[in-house]
Amino acid sequence: MRTLVVVAVFGGGIAHATLGPALRIADVAPDIPLIVVVLLALRRGPEFGCAAGFIAGLLQDAASGGLLGVQAFTKALIGFGIGALGGRLRVSQPLVQVPGLVLLTIAEGLARFALLKLFHFPAPFLAVMTYVVLPQALYNGFLGAALVLALTWSESMRERTT
Amino acid sequence: MKIRAIVLLGTVAVACLLLLTLQMRGYTAVATDALAVVTTPIQSTLARINRSAVGVWSTYRDWKNVRAENRRLRDEAQQLRVEALQVTETIEENRRLRRLLALKAAMPLETLSGEIIAREWGGWVRSLTVNRGRSDHVSRMTAVIAPDGLIGRVVDVRPGASVVQVLIDPASTVGAHAVRSRTAGIVEGEPRGTMRFKYMARDGAGLEVGDLVVTSGSGGLFPRGIPIGRVRAIDDRGSALFHYAQLAPAVDFARIDEVLLIVGEGAHDLAALFEGNGG
Repeated sequence: MRTLVVVAVFGGGIAHATLGPALRIADVAPDIPLIVVVLLALRRGPEFGCAAGFIAGLLQDAASGGLLGVQAFTKALIGFGIGALGGRLRVSQPLVQVPGLVLLTIAEGLARFALLKLFHFPAPFLAVMTYVVLPQALYNGFLGAALVLALTWSESMRERTT
Repeated sequence: MKIRAIVLLGTVAVACLLLLTLQMRGYTAVATDALAVVTTPIQSTLARINRSAVGVWSTYRDWKNVRAENRRLRDEAQQLRVEALQVTETIEENRRLRRLLALKAAMPLETLSGEIIAREWGGWVRSLTVNRGRSDHVSRMTAVIAPDGLIGRVVDVRPGASVVQVLIDPASTVGAHAVRSRTAGIVEGEPRGTMRFKYMARDGAGLEVGDLVVTSGSGGLFPRGIPIGRVRAIDDRGSALFHYAQLAPAVDFARIDEVLLIVGEGAHDLAALFEGNGG
């Protein structure tokens, strides 16, 4: 399990660091670690999601030069929440995946904003939501759905070969 | 399991809040240093991977851009080359027409400018077709000249064109004389596309290589003094009645595009008009 967490989180980190700039559209980059955390939490449960979210978020905090612990906390929360709800959600349909990821990104954004506000974050809420959170949420929704489809397809191919 | 998860979440939350509090209270260094021990090697590794991946990606993009740019530049270069050729061609045509116009203006005889529209370059016949014909009042035996010298005579007149027999046509003969020695003779075309100056042996003692041969004006067909060519070699046939001199044509028949047809009549010496051209 530990190996999987490390591989998945670091994979997400590497993907974020390497693909992020290349995937940037009109100055909006997807939050790949968040997508990875969500996917892991859905499959492995709340503990795994929480740990993965914490490590991934901490790495992002450290990489971005912001306050350490903000993304670690919000992503751990998201990972835990999705991991806990995973069994009750029907996430195999893109119609669920896209809005699901959009909502999760918005939730993570809200949580991050709330946490930062505690530490006197100066940016106005509306501007953050309009220019940062919502565009990234939409992007995450579509990219996440594509990733889920790719994973499903690769799993079905693997099952067929075995 | 659930309790473990909640404990984990609580630990994570406490750790994060502790980290944030430490940072807000000015212990940024402690928190970041503590994390840096773990994150710095990871960041370095990520940065290295990022650099390589981005490097490969940007190399690929550069390569694609260079390829696209290369294609664009090649097209542009091709376009410019065509344009440059057109400009060169226009300049050259302009120069030729200016020379022709200057000759036309200086001519004491009435002339008609014409454009070469066809060339017959077989060994049997060497002729040019000019876009001036019966409708332009061109008649047979009209002399045809260029700024460099004589081209030939009109041998066939059609409604909109005339056929000009050039000097190197095997059937062409023109009365001529050498300017320096005044040696008189006849310029004949040869089947191999050259021309020779046939003269009486007794008159040709003073003929030398490089001498200019011009129309003599005898017979009234061609005005006097139009350059025909320069002596390239002298064929001394000993005691024969006639000797021959190979001539280098004054006009490059293969390249000529515009000509003047002398439609006016009258005996004139045109030598002075061609002096600037080496005549």
